[in-house]
Amino acid sequence: MALADSSVVTLALPDMLRRFDVSITTVAWVLTAYNIVLAAAAVPAAHLARRQPAVVCAAGLIVFSVASLACGLAPSFAVLLAGRCVQAAGGAAVVAAALDLLSAVSASESDAAHTWAAAGVIGAALGPAAGGVLTQLLGWESIFFVQAPLLLAPLAALPALRSCRGASATSGRPHVAANLALLFASAALSAALFLLVILLVNGWNLHPAVAGVVATVMPAAAITVARRSRAPGGTAFRAGTGLLLTAGGLASLGVLPHAGWTWTVPPQLLVGAGLGLTIGALTDQALRGRSPQAVHGGWTIASRHAGVVLGLLLLTPLFSHQLDRNEAEAKRAGAAILLDSRLPPLDKLRVAQEVLRSIDRANGRLPDVRAPLEGRFGGPAGTEYRRVAGSLQDQLERAVTDAFGWPFLLASALALCGLSAVAVGRRDPAL
Amino acid sequence: MKVLGAAAAVAASAGLIGAYIALGGTSYRPAPVADPCAHRPWRAPSGVAETLEQVALSTADGAACALGVSREDLVLALAGRDDLSRFAAAHHVSQDDAERAIPDGLFRAVEDARAAGAIDGGLAGTLETIARHFPIGLVLDVLQGASRLIPG
Repeated sequence: MALADSSVVTLALPDMLRRFDVSITTVAWVLTAYNIVLAAAAVPAAHLARRQPAVVCAAGLIVFSVASLACGLAPSFAVLLAGRCVQAAGGAAVVAAALDLLSAVSASESDAAHTWAAAGVIGAALGPAAGGVLTQLLGWESIFFVQAPLLLAPLAALPALRSCRGASATSGRPHVAANLALLFASAALSAALFLLVILLVNGWNLHPAVAGVVATVMPAAAITVARRSRAPGGTAFRAGTGLLLTAGGLASLGVLPHAGWTWTVPPQLLVGAGLGLTIGALTDQALRGRSPQAVHGGWTIASRHAGVVLGLLLLTPLFSHQLDRNEAEAKRAGAAILLDSRLPPLDKLRVAQEVLRSIDRANGRLPDVRAPLEGRFGGPAGTEYRRVAGSLQDQLERAVTDAFGWPFLLASALALCGLSAVAVGRRDPAL
Repeated sequence: MKVLGAAAAVAASAGLIGAYIALGGTSYRPAPVADPCAHRPWRAPSGVAETLEQVALSTADGAACALGVSREDLVLALAGRDDLSRFAAAHHVSQDDAERAIPDGLFRAVEDARAAGAIDGGLAGTLETIARHFPIGLVLDVLQGASRLIPG
């Protein structure tokens, strides 16, 4: 759940944006701040967890739960951000200690590492869907209220693990290439989830719950592939193949031919399959033969969440810029369509006013410009009204979809950077 | 086997990207906006309302040409005071520039109307004289307030 939290609020961002009246760039800090703190706290928390993993895990769960309640009750955006930072600190302690605790109850360290990595992928990928359904049914605050009691439940099992101790070996150097590749893969994953959800909800007006279901294609593919790809060895090839699929899927999202959620399904399958192969393989590579596992696990968490931050920091301004530019172009194109149309002259001004009003009412979402014109479809100029409404709606839909093109292509490039890191690591195993 | 897996990943990715591009994935272009300085033929107007519409569109073309912007940008700028301020800042247009551009637009409208045979030479001369002496500040105020006069 602590890892799911890096993405669980993705579908709640549009509602938070409206609740606190902030920009897309500002509201993205709800995700960014959480991931920055988690990345920074992961390694220190892992060192701490080596002595008393059960105690550190319990402390982390309590901090996380209390911070979740604070987020749900936040009266201002600043309080929400502060709550997210505290949540992340608690989450770092839980995740780092979990690897030591899993090692104590698993058949081998490798089994523990695999379960731990898979839980991370599943958590991060299922987050948006769970958040979307909760946001739709009960409001965004419910995401935090539901988490608090759920996170306290594992406390009951911790006393049995109190005697558990982490390995006391001196910590060795982290696997640079694998962690660097994880960083880029996570940057691509964050982009895939963040941009896809914003495209579905804000771009194409899907309800958050429906968008959550649509975005579940990616984690479903990731889980299916991760379960079938546990062959020992060949981690570099698995990671490389996964990153190729991720890059291809993200590039496909960058060249969507039409607006509509069905077009996102094939690319999501590629991205999901790619991430299912990549994250597990790279985590295996980063942890294999390195001790203590918790500390190296901490490095993988730090890399992954630093990657999420990198993805958000690179993509959010680019996406906002593209959206502003395309909105201006679409307005200009819409004005041209209206001015050159053969609508009755005096009605033209009225229609223009109604269309502008529907754009304002849409509050940043894709407006339905057909609605204000539908009443005129049966009149003497009905054919022309129908043509104008269709042209206007098509312009807006294509402009919105196109605004996501370059950000998705940049995310694809991030996945290819991860592929380069895998290739360098394969050539120089010392890295 | 491993190489086969990587080749399949490349093929699946390239296939999907290629299919999406073939279906029009990179074809988005905003609807074209005509050059306001280029001649735009008048439609045969029927009735006063359509004649006035053609005059207004020609005026907008002429003014936009004088300001070096598109007709559509100029029309969107007249939607309200905030839009006009944003437009003026974005295109470095002062009130003086706007006041000089409106007569240019009116001359263009008169010229277009004469070329289309909608008015004769005598009326064209009279309209040009009116355009030269018209209180342009008032025109701007009327244009900015026009949208509020139209019932929704």
